[in-house]
Amino acid sequence: MTHRRLSSSIPLAVLVAIGCGGKPPSASAKTEGSMEVAQAPATSAPKASVPTPAGGTAAIPITAKFAGPAPARDVIKMSADPVCQQQHPTPFHSEEVVVDDQGRLKNVFVYVKQGLTGTFPAPATAVTLDQAGCWYYPHILGIQVNQPFEIVNSDATLHNVNAKPTLNQPFNIAQPVKGMKAKKAFTKPEVMVKFKCNVHPWMNAYAGVVDHPFFGVTDEHGSATLSGLPAGTYTLEAWHEKYGTQTQTVTVAAGETKAVEWTFKAQ
Amino acid sequence: MIMACMHPNASVTTTHLTRAIGVACAGMLWFGVTCPAWADRPTPNLETGQVAYLQSCARCHGLSGRGDGVDAKRFYPRPRDFALGVYKFRSTASGTPPTDEDLFQTITRGLPGSNMPDWQHLDEPVRWQLVSYLKSLSPIFQQTQPAPVKVANDPGPAHADRANGKALYEKLGCAACHGMSGRANGTSASGLVDDWGMPIRPADLTQGWASRGGSDPQSVMLRVLTGIDGAGMPSYADAISPEDAWHLAYYVTSLQETPHWNLVAHARRLEGALPSSVDDPRWAAAERTDVPVRNVVNASGEWSAPPTVKAVAVEVVYNDEAIAFRFTWDDPTQDPPAPPSEAARQAGRGTPHDGLALLLKPAGSHGDVVTLQAWPSAEAPPLDLCYWSADTGEVRETVAADFDGVIGRTAPHPVLVKSGAGYEDGRWRMVLQRPLAPREPEGAAVIALDSFTSMAMAVWDGGNPSARAVSPWLDLSLGSYTTEKQRAR
Repeated sequence: MTHRRLSSSIPLAVLVAIGCGGKPPSASAKTEGSMEVAQAPATSAPKASVPTPAGGTAAIPITAKFAGPAPARDVIKMSADPVCQQQHPTPFHSEEVVVDDQGRLKNVFVYVKQGLTGTFPAPATAVTLDQAGCWYYPHILGIQVNQPFEIVNSDATLHNVNAKPTLNQPFNIAQPVKGMKAKKAFTKPEVMVKFKCNVHPWMNAYAGVVDHPFFGVTDEHGSATLSGLPAGTYTLEAWHEKYGTQTQTVTVAAGETKAVEWTFKAQ
Repeated sequence: MIMACMHPNASVTTTHLTRAIGVACAGMLWFGVTCPAWADRPTPNLETGQVAYLQSCARCHGLSGRGDGVDAKRFYPRPRDFALGVYKFRSTASGTPPTDEDLFQTITRGLPGSNMPDWQHLDEPVRWQLVSYLKSLSPIFQQTQPAPVKVANDPGPAHADRANGKALYEKLGCAACHGMSGRANGTSASGLVDDWGMPIRPADLTQGWASRGGSDPQSVMLRVLTGIDGAGMPSYADAISPEDAWHLAYYVTSLQETPHWNLVAHARRLEGALPSSVDDPRWAAAERTDVPVRNVVNASGEWSAPPTVKAVAVEVVYNDEAIAFRFTWDDPTQDPPAPPSEAARQAGRGTPHDGLALLLKPAGSHGDVVTLQAWPSAEAPPLDLCYWSADTGEVRETVAADFDGVIGRTAPHPVLVKSGAGYEDGRWRMVLQRPLAPREPEGAAVIALDSFTSMAMAVWDGGNPSARAVSPWLDLSLGSYTTEKQRAR
């Protein structure tokens, strides 16, 4: 049988050493989420990078609302797998449309679509997608390009993580053992990347991949905040799994806080 | 000299050139490259590749490679859409493209169990040009490098640990789709959809002949490690060691059942009463014949549902008066789920149910039914059907002009035929017994002792109600050794 190991590491290592001249951008002042932007000095790397602007101080609190009576949430039937069934003695409901008693909509992904200049290096902290009780947590998530992405199986049953991006590299990996973790990263912005499990077809999740830290997912009160924005005029987009996308343009000055509201309704 | 590379263990006469090439090949093997293929590869020429593609491939795969060829809708699975850049059978990590050798191998070997034939009659350089042309059809080959998975050496059938393989099969959750015995009847087996939007089924691991990526342990080992991109099978590269992947593969291949394909079904003569239950030990005397069954295309000539029943095994025994058939087939779901109740027997209709019909040509029938795919059609003769359905648990024989009358029980004068059936873990077995020359129903088929009798089967899976699968015509042969004296009796 032929040996099909990965191409020998020796010439590869040589190529890597030659090809990557210059220092990587320093990781100063890096924190997670959208709070601050790391400084990147002008480098001698082969590819010229635009210096990032100074950390901004504007903030855009988001509220997402749903107009009209909220549709009933489907009950998820997990009888196909007893391990799943056991973890849900009471009925478990779909997260496709979650509206609270004040008409506020959860799981809306909001991000800055246009208006930013500069590059924003990815944080080192990982974003985690968990499979627990045969459900993805969170159902909707945001992540930066090249940010570490960890997928964990917290169930004692087989899940496969079938990621179907169109711009990023798709993958379909099996996680048969509880506690298994996969480490991935997205290399291109893509709104949104769908995840599903073939073994448990009711499971799905979406990831919004952007190349900056100014994004959020509305919580059960319909709230999210884009903070640390530089002054400027931005096009924001809000995405909902069932009710589509909407855009708004907003201008913020340094230090300003300007609230933006979105309203979705059934078509 | 190149042969020296292909057979590194063969002794070769050592000339300087031979040694040089041997060293070069050894060097290339060190770096994980298959020598003989590289030695023969022509420089890629997309024009040559396109000409070869249009001649050999376009009819199914389409002029622009989008899997939309003239014949495409009659195939299941559909021909590959090359523009999407998703390939099922690779030696590389999930989400990465196949290597050139993977593509070359698929073209050369074909995909047994599908409509993709092997192309060994094309010269090797032509096949390599096709590989280069295919790669030009999708940008993924520029965007991502193939990342071959790490594989271990083949332990060989003598040293493979199948017990470990079986434990891995359970630990890794394979049964969720493939079923406890590999018959594609796992709890998650239905509802799978591939990347091209078509419903699909997991593989029935007992049917190695239907395994498109190959049924040998190495192929199975690679499917486990790389997953089948575009379909539901995930990659287990992070969940299993390369060594364990071999043990699992040897266990999986041990589930395969060797088919005995034949279009002649030999019946064995028994003394005394014939078996009427599926478990009767006298069936051991019968000869088994495996017959493929194919879904009937719908009215527009398309296959729209994946086949769930792909083959039926037939065993036949007879005596002076009667003949008995035992049919065995894999069906992932028992429909209806419970054994037939008295009420179901009375009603005789209702929810979609599993069924099988034995088809014979009625006595004195003229005219030919060339294929059951096209029956009934205008001017086609009626056929003698012995129809078993899981909802009643009974077999009724009738001479009918179409299937609907038999299933809907509107065909005239059905005659009850002795039968028995049982379902276990994704597999049906059904026995029916009828006289060689029944007096009713009128026009019933007579089974000859000393010549071939045409027979065929149609199978329904209640869990796949849009599909009816039919076999080709078989020749049923009842023992060839009758003497003049026996015939005179």
